[in-house]
Amino acid sequence: VSYLLFMCAVVPALAVQGPGIFPQPHRNEETEEHSFLDSIFWMAAPKKRRTIEINRCRRRNPQKLIETKTNIEPCSECGNLKQKHVLCSFCYEKVRRETAIIRGQIQAQEGKPLNNPAVETVVLYEGEKPADADAGKRIVERKRPRPSWFTQY
Amino acid sequence: MWYLAKMIRGMTIEQAIAQLEFNDKKGAAIIKEVLLEAQEMAVKSHNVEYKSNLYVAESFSGKGQYLKRIRIHGRGMFGIMDKVYCHYFVKLVEGVPPTEKPRTGFDQAKEYVQQLRNRTIIHSL
Repeated sequence: VSYLLFMCAVVPALAVQGPGIFPQPHRNEETEEHSFLDSIFWMAAPKKRRTIEINRCRRRNPQKLIETKTNIEPCSECGNLKQKHVLCSFCYEKVRRETAIIRGQIQAQEGKPLNNPAVETVVLYEGEKPADADAGKRIVERKRPRPSWFTQY
Repeated sequence: MWYLAKMIRGMTIEQAIAQLEFNDKKGAAIIKEVLLEAQEMAVKSHNVEYKSNLYVAESFSGKGQYLKRIRIHGRGMFGIMDKVYCHYFVKLVEGVPPTEKPRTGFDQAKEYVQQLRNRTIIHSL
């Protein structure tokens, strides 16, 4: 232990002794401005007010105008307008409503969540009997005639 | 809103409604409602025979009331936020929309020369 203490005393001795090294002059003044508002002197700012003519040229040039769409066509099923690459919103809404009702009935049948049986489901409308292929499947009854878009087979 | 109004200027009403239906701007739904109401009004009380025989003659938007609110920024700064309202005006006219003939450079030059020729010296002999 005494050797270690001796080494610590000797090793950090400086090569240059005496007043060769001065302590760095500590600058107390801050180089940054004190208030936030003074720093805006070094920011970019507009020199002149942009006239309304210049503003109109910028706002109304063809790049900024809205382009007319050329991909709108009537739906072949219902006649409402649709975009070529998108499903018809009216037909989709009609299917969505029916499936929401069917899902509600399934939920009522199951009772609690995550209670679905490990078999397929078949939706039967008014006056329909389960076929031979639907032997072991779960049946959901709907009290209305079958919609034309919901084909059975 | 102005961009939508500019887009439908000169279109047939069916074309205008189709374009507005598939536009994503908030004003598109509002203008579409206005056009449908105007179409209905035209058929009911303005003696228009066919509801699709209309075209948009004039369509423009104007500045409405601006409500001012404070928007708080950092460092104790604040900005004045404008809650913007606007008015929308549309005029439907019965018939086929008029086609604008495209003015070529030659036509413009001819008009300019004609303007120069029309100049006279007033109060002269």
